[in-house]
Amino acid sequence: MRRGHLKFKLIVAVLALSLAILIPAYSWCRSSSETALDLSGKAVNPLKAAAGKVVILIFVRTDCPISNRYAPTIQRIIAEYSGKSVFWLVYPDKAETPEAIRKHDGEYGYKIGALRDTQHSLVKVSQVKITPEVAVFDASERLVYHGRIDNWYVDFGRARSAATTHELDDAIQAALAGKLPSVRVTDAIGCYISDLE
Amino acid sequence: MIRPSRSLPFCLVALSLVTAASSGSGGVAHSDASPPSGQRPGPPSDNAERPVTFDRDIAPIVFHDCANCHHAGEASPFTLLTYDDVKSHARQIAAVVRKRQMPPWLPEEGELKFADELRLTDRQISLFQEWIDDGEKEGDAADLPTRPNFVEGWQLGKPDLILTAEKPYLLPAGGDDNYWNFIFRAPVDRVRWLKAMEIRAGDKKLIHHANVLVDRTQSVRHLEKEAGAGFGGMELEIESESFDPDSHFLFWKPGTVPYVEPDGMALRLDKDTDLVLNTHMQPSGKAEKVQPTIGLYFTDVPASIFPMLLQLENDRALDIPAGAKDFVVTDDFTLPVDVDLLAIYPHAHYLGKDLLGYATLPDGSTKTLIHIPQWDLNWQAVFRYTAPVRLPKGTTVAMKYTYDNSEDNIANPNHPPQRVMAGNRARDEMAHLWLQVIPLKASESDPDPRKTLLEAFARHRVAKNPADFEAHYNLAAMLQARGQLDDAIAEYSRAVELHPNDATANNSLGGALLATGDSGEAIAHFNLALKMRPDYFDAHYNLGNALIATNDFHGAIEQFRAAVRLHPDDADAEANLGGALGETGQYAEAKTHLERALEINPNHVLARENLEQLKQLMPAK
Repeated sequence: MRRGHLKFKLIVAVLALSLAILIPAYSWCRSSSETALDLSGKAVNPLKAAAGKVVILIFVRTDCPISNRYAPTIQRIIAEYSGKSVFWLVYPDKAETPEAIRKHDGEYGYKIGALRDTQHSLVKVSQVKITPEVAVFDASERLVYHGRIDNWYVDFGRARSAATTHELDDAIQAALAGKLPSVRVTDAIGCYISDLE
Repeated sequence: MIRPSRSLPFCLVALSLVTAASSGSGGVAHSDASPPSGQRPGPPSDNAERPVTFDRDIAPIVFHDCANCHHAGEASPFTLLTYDDVKSHARQIAAVVRKRQMPPWLPEEGELKFADELRLTDRQISLFQEWIDDGEKEGDAADLPTRPNFVEGWQLGKPDLILTAEKPYLLPAGGDDNYWNFIFRAPVDRVRWLKAMEIRAGDKKLIHHANVLVDRTQSVRHLEKEAGAGFGGMELEIESESFDPDSHFLFWKPGTVPYVEPDGMALRLDKDTDLVLNTHMQPSGKAEKVQPTIGLYFTDVPASIFPMLLQLENDRALDIPAGAKDFVVTDDFTLPVDVDLLAIYPHAHYLGKDLLGYATLPDGSTKTLIHIPQWDLNWQAVFRYTAPVRLPKGTTVAMKYTYDNSEDNIANPNHPPQRVMAGNRARDEMAHLWLQVIPLKASESDPDPRKTLLEAFARHRVAKNPADFEAHYNLAAMLQARGQLDDAIAEYSRAVELHPNDATANNSLGGALLATGDSGEAIAHFNLALKMRPDYFDAHYNLGNALIATNDFHGAIEQFRAAVRLHPDDADAEANLGGALGETGQYAEAKTHLERALEINPNHVLARENLEQLKQLMPAK
């Protein structure tokens, strides 16, 4: 009996050891952690789907009023940069069905690809906490900016009449020029993604 | 045979908000069936170790203070009725209640209480964070209070009359806040007494709040580019043919159940009265069609109690330098009679910061009527006191508003900040405090306390601002109503000096002059009014009468014809047209118009008498 226990302990130690070895490899080769589901249910890695391009992930939610009010701004930005970069809408709420997302995107006039990040793998790799929040990856898949789109909202229910700084625009322009944006991280205002876990 | 009847129309210009009845309040929208109110959730007293649960601790707060708006079909962006609903926004809720951004309630807690206050206790606020820290447990279903059962559709049952805006307004997907006005044309065909009104904004997510203005003279129809299309603008000026001191707040904001006026306080609606719905909308992110509906509820009990709206204001003092952080504007007025204060409506635009209304009683003591330490235009409302506040004669009511025109004010519409003055546009400013009061008689032998109050108020405005067009105009109109024609002409003349091109003022001055027999001067002012506003019915009608006074019947006929074209259902205009035609011997056509006048109003004495005379003349011809 005693021996049996010892044996069991040993096995655990071996498992832990193998995990310790695996983890660096896992994070080094990120591709498996960067997938989400498109609306047909197919796994997509948005960072690999357009190799060599700047990729912008826009995290939104169908029932988040702030991310909805941003729809015209988001579309303005997409229209401005879509030739040179690739945009994805990312829905981190696993309760939101492909049908609800299609309906929402139609109503708000979105014409870009949408992904369901049910495992929050894109949330993690983008280091985002809020909807709406954006992540900009440069041509070598490096996260160069994450945070707010601009400074329109100052707090819940408190918005300027118009934004006076435009962090997403600045970050995309820097990434397209092969530079790092001067602002790398900002806090976004909106609905907490952690409420969806 | 010509006796132009009809008292001359005079107008009370202004009142950016006239009448109305409010729910004024935070509105508790529970159905009678399951009032979740009653016990306000308190601390889970006995057992501090017990984890906070949704069913026992969170649900009672959510049902009582959030769900009014946060249920399907209401103004809020998401529902808060179930454990899953609340859990999926838990951190957001904890944050907004901690900052007291939700539930939205602007006034600071004070001595005077408002109906339906939406204010959480400190303990209630901390429960949300504790719930998250304890792992967002659902708890025991036995603890869950009855879920509120909201009435779908009309909150007071089927209205007696339902009005729908003629044409929808197309709200763009993005951009600034939007202010749009819908005209509901002459909805009643006879005098009706309105006891309640429900505004259904269509998609309630879009309309932040709305006011209904009672336009007894259809004075804003000319602002529509096309009939029924509505018109833009944040503030309105409504003209009134007579003093309309029986005024109510007709204010709507999401999540409110319509306020039902008590017996005797109904609002009179006349035939030909327009209702104007003034809305504040926020683009939602997608383009929307907004076509609001209004439900009217009538009573047979006519008004016997007549509240009035007093407007403290000091727009003229609003000249706020760019960058000013604490720009103060004040106004005060000493009551000449006792009043009962029923409700209060503070109003400023985006630069307003700290809004205070207070009263200094004759004994020197002061009473805060309302204090909003952090003004937010988005959550403006009419606030009704739980009980009338008695303010004795000699009380001074006052406002003190502080404005922030610096970059620190995130609502500032100008970047960089610019000098801002008073005006009707959203980026102009305002400094208004409306008080709904019932003036009281000191004894039965007292003269009408409403008139005493109105006159004192009109004189206060003129004294405060000798260059205020509206103040002179309104004082003039009041003096005219009292038969003090010479004083009225002096005040109207001052108003016309200040606004030489104002059609209404010229028309009214002409009317007062005509009443004193000075038809020559009167004609000049009527013509000026018509030059400014060629489709001005009152001016055509009055000019017709003035021309008759100078025996220019052909000229008069032309004016009455224009009046009849503008208002085909006006018996007076038809009768006077018939009379003028009769004077020029055009008997057959005269008869047609006199008969038409009687068709519109079978009791029209002048038309009947003239028709009798005409019948005697016609066979002789």
